[in-house]
Amino acid sequence: MKFHKNWLLGFDWTLLILALSICAVGVLNIYSTGFSLTSPKTPLYLKQIQWILIGLFFMFIAITLDYRFLSHYAYAIHGVAVLLLVLVIFYGYTTHGSQRWIALGGFSFQPSELVKVTMVLALARYFSTHGTGDHYGFRDLLVPLAMMLVPFLLIVRQPDLGTALMLLILFSSLVIFVGVRIKDLLIAGAAGLLMIPAAWYFLKDYQKDRILTFFDPERDPLGAGYHIIQSMIAVGSGGFLGKGFLKGTQTQLKFLPEQQTDFVFSVFAEEWGFMGGIVLITLFLSLILWSLKIAQNARDLPETLIAYGITMMIFWGFFINIGMVLGILPVVGIPLPFLSYGGSSVVVLMISIGLLINISMRRFILQP
Amino acid sequence: MDTSGRLNGHDTANYRSRFQRLFAIILIAAAVLVIRLAYLQVIKGEEYKVRSESNSVRLRKIKPFRGLILDSRRQVLVDNQPAFDLVYVPSRIVDIRRIVATLEGFYRQRGFSLEEDLNPAGKTRPFVPVRLERNIPVEKIAQVETHALDLPGFVVEVAPVRKYLGGDVLSHIIGYTGEVSREELEKLEDNSLAPGDVVGKTGLERLLDPYLAGKPGAEQVEVNVTGKVIKSLGRVEPVAGYNAVLTLDFDLQTVAAAAMEGRSGAAVVLDPRDGSVLAMVSVPSFDPNIFNGGISPRDWEKLAKDPRHPMENRAISGQYPPGSTYKVVTAAAALSEGIVTPEIRFYCNGSFTLGNRSYRCWQRHGHGWVNLHRALVSSCDVYFYNLGKILGVDKLAEYARAFGFGQRTGIDMPREKPGLVPTKAWKAKRFKEPWQPGENIPISIGQGFDLVTPLQLANAYAALANGGTIWRPRLVKQIEEADGRVVKMFPPEKIGALSLTARHLELIRRGLWGVVNEAGGTGGALRRPEGDVAGKTGTSQVVGMPRADKTGRIRVLSDRFRDHALFACFAPYQNPEIAVAVIVEHAGHGGSVAAPVARKIIDAYFRLKRERAQPKMAAVDPAVAGQEKAPAPKEQTTRREREESP
Repeated sequence: MKFHKNWLLGFDWTLLILALSICAVGVLNIYSTGFSLTSPKTPLYLKQIQWILIGLFFMFIAITLDYRFLSHYAYAIHGVAVLLLVLVIFYGYTTHGSQRWIALGGFSFQPSELVKVTMVLALARYFSTHGTGDHYGFRDLLVPLAMMLVPFLLIVRQPDLGTALMLLILFSSLVIFVGVRIKDLLIAGAAGLLMIPAAWYFLKDYQKDRILTFFDPERDPLGAGYHIIQSMIAVGSGGFLGKGFLKGTQTQLKFLPEQQTDFVFSVFAEEWGFMGGIVLITLFLSLILWSLKIAQNARDLPETLIAYGITMMIFWGFFINIGMVLGILPVVGIPLPFLSYGGSSVVVLMISIGLLINISMRRFILQP
Repeated sequence: MDTSGRLNGHDTANYRSRFQRLFAIILIAAAVLVIRLAYLQVIKGEEYKVRSESNSVRLRKIKPFRGLILDSRRQVLVDNQPAFDLVYVPSRIVDIRRIVATLEGFYRQRGFSLEEDLNPAGKTRPFVPVRLERNIPVEKIAQVETHALDLPGFVVEVAPVRKYLGGDVLSHIIGYTGEVSREELEKLEDNSLAPGDVVGKTGLERLLDPYLAGKPGAEQVEVNVTGKVIKSLGRVEPVAGYNAVLTLDFDLQTVAAAAMEGRSGAAVVLDPRDGSVLAMVSVPSFDPNIFNGGISPRDWEKLAKDPRHPMENRAISGQYPPGSTYKVVTAAAALSEGIVTPEIRFYCNGSFTLGNRSYRCWQRHGHGWVNLHRALVSSCDVYFYNLGKILGVDKLAEYARAFGFGQRTGIDMPREKPGLVPTKAWKAKRFKEPWQPGENIPISIGQGFDLVTPLQLANAYAALANGGTIWRPRLVKQIEEADGRVVKMFPPEKIGALSLTARHLELIRRGLWGVVNEAGGTGGALRRPEGDVAGKTGTSQVVGMPRADKTGRIRVLSDRFRDHALFACFAPYQNPEIAVAVIVEHAGHGGSVAAPVARKIIDAYFRLKRERAQPKMAAVDPAVAGQEKAPAPKEQTTRREREESP
């Protein structure tokens, strides 16, 4: 691979700086929650910095990776990720009643996070090699559907309904983007609805309970319903300027549930107020629009699709999470990209940013 | 970014419009978030600020009712009653001692005092409720409510508590409930329990906790500054626990408990047809209702340190030398191994010599020539010494295990003990010493190392009664929903069989019948006019058996060295319906102390059976009632036959 002689000119510093700025806000915010892991007793924000550094290492690999490698092995990579999800069933360990993690050389890892990106890679490969020139019909979508449905069901089984839903949304975003006949889309949707009772039969009682609560948080005033009220009080009481760093009462008194993960934005909004919220939303918006531009200007279709998929992953995480915290969307357990604590999520996001930078730089590659 | 920088472009013309639409969608989405954020923080900001400062939204857990426990005739044994806890919800960090002092001030005005020995150390955490007093009386509630304005943060919470209608008659079986302990919470994998939740601690309350517990409900409420509820924001009703139906007959249990009154020991009544536990009494006992308000450390200490151990369920965890009741095992082993026939006789001159030691028969002047039947009837020790010497410890152990001794019966009750059936290997491992031939002698009459629980004894005699089947004793028949729908059944379960031929079994049974009904039998106390009881007395020596008492019980010395009295029996002789084992600690002879207890139980069983049949018969057609009477004379004839046969 040969780069333009002045490759610094081609390197997408803007994207990197935007991503790292949001990461920095995230670390400060987790610092404010004051959470620590119990054993060994490490403050959570240090742990997050550690994950960001690990993520940067993988990001570098993603930047230098030859695109042809990714394209050639896209299916295999997705297959490996799905295999890891299967391994979770046998070797995964359970916390908070959900079996999501596997131990990977001393680190605990959540394959469901990785699968989001590998699915984008696999779908991008499929759609770019199976172009119809026209809109895709239902029959053309069977293979991509399987690429989504297998990991989807494995993740529902864990159960991690938020991530499963994310997979579904990403898939739909890609399919609609490449173009699908409206009629077939409706048929597929109807078929999906019909499958729900069948899937219901295989779920355990507590899993059903979670799904019902997912749609109706009032069912569980001990859990989601209580969370959302406390979250709205936290956000609202932040006011225009916020209560100040480390001064959020809802946060410091631990009224806020899941404040280091799903409800991390309420911590931020309570302490930094509306002004802080505007800054953070602007940062996210810049990152998302910049990434979309990379997708638009990519050299070929698979690159466009990869960049588009990653952008959508970040966008939906951003929109659904904040919407949920602000009480306009149901509590679905989708983390806020870069801000929520979570090793697998941060590392996968860094890899994704690496891929975007790779695609962005590729425009300056001299063809051999 | 400008497209002019592209070196290797691909045609994105198809996608241009899609990208334009996307940019628009993303901008709109971000705008929605910003508008919502502005609404919450700028427009509603002040309102939320107030709510966050008073933190007026609380989550209240609503405790569910635990399931009822019913006996086999559906009498309620355990019910719930409403009770009130006094809880303090601090709004900031305060010293709990000051709060308690304030409360005590108000209490003193009316002459009340704090019931509970609070552990007044430490500060409170804001909004984490502190339970000050459990199960408080109405007068105290009135006093707290009257002074609500001076007692901000004090809340009276409804918390149902158990009502043990059986009192101390059932305490060992039912057990009691209590607040979940820190250890129990740490062991949990999920968040199904929180501090302050009530769980079963012992007995069936503990064993059946998953069924009885129910599901807590919750309510989101808005409260004012004093902690009083202003309005409810949403509520999920609690789900009451399932009811448990036992095999137990509470009336029979009451009779058994009365018969054991004032003693130490246990009585177990089984149905030999399926292993159902009809009654199970352990004395001395305790009143489980004292655990309702959270037992005070003083009461707990009194109970736990009582030298008579009222908390121990002797029926399943008391281990006693079985004495002569064990002779059925020796007899079964000797018959099956072909060592004796019913005709073979041994001479008893009152003692038995092996090597340079002699072993006495309980009858000092001896029984003369005895065969198997007479040996059982008169409980001749020398006869069984002879069998034990020939059999040896390991053969005897083999048959003892077939009777269910030396292993837990598997009854649905926690903390069952296995008893002890000695073997050569066991002794080598336990004492690092070889088995001495002289040790074969005491174990053949249920002394020495032999230890059984009252439940095992009853179950062994149930097997003799029913033709040789060992059932798993069961206390719980089924779990039901409140409307009576069965959630789970616990069917009878066969767990073993006696290794005895029908002929040999009948020989032993006839011997047991003789014990009660023949001249010279040791069990004459059970000689009912119907002549339908068969059983065996036992008197297990405590002197020189320190192992039997190694639990280190402190007793008055003279009491401590008195023998345990045992009696095990079944009735009716044909088609038995109950098997009974009674052990009375340090009370003297089985025939004179334990047998009368068994008599009361058996008499009560048949009396209850008759009484319960009567009103039903009156209610139905008289013709049918007449038919049901018919079997009575037939029973009498079988009795006569039996009287002739032995």
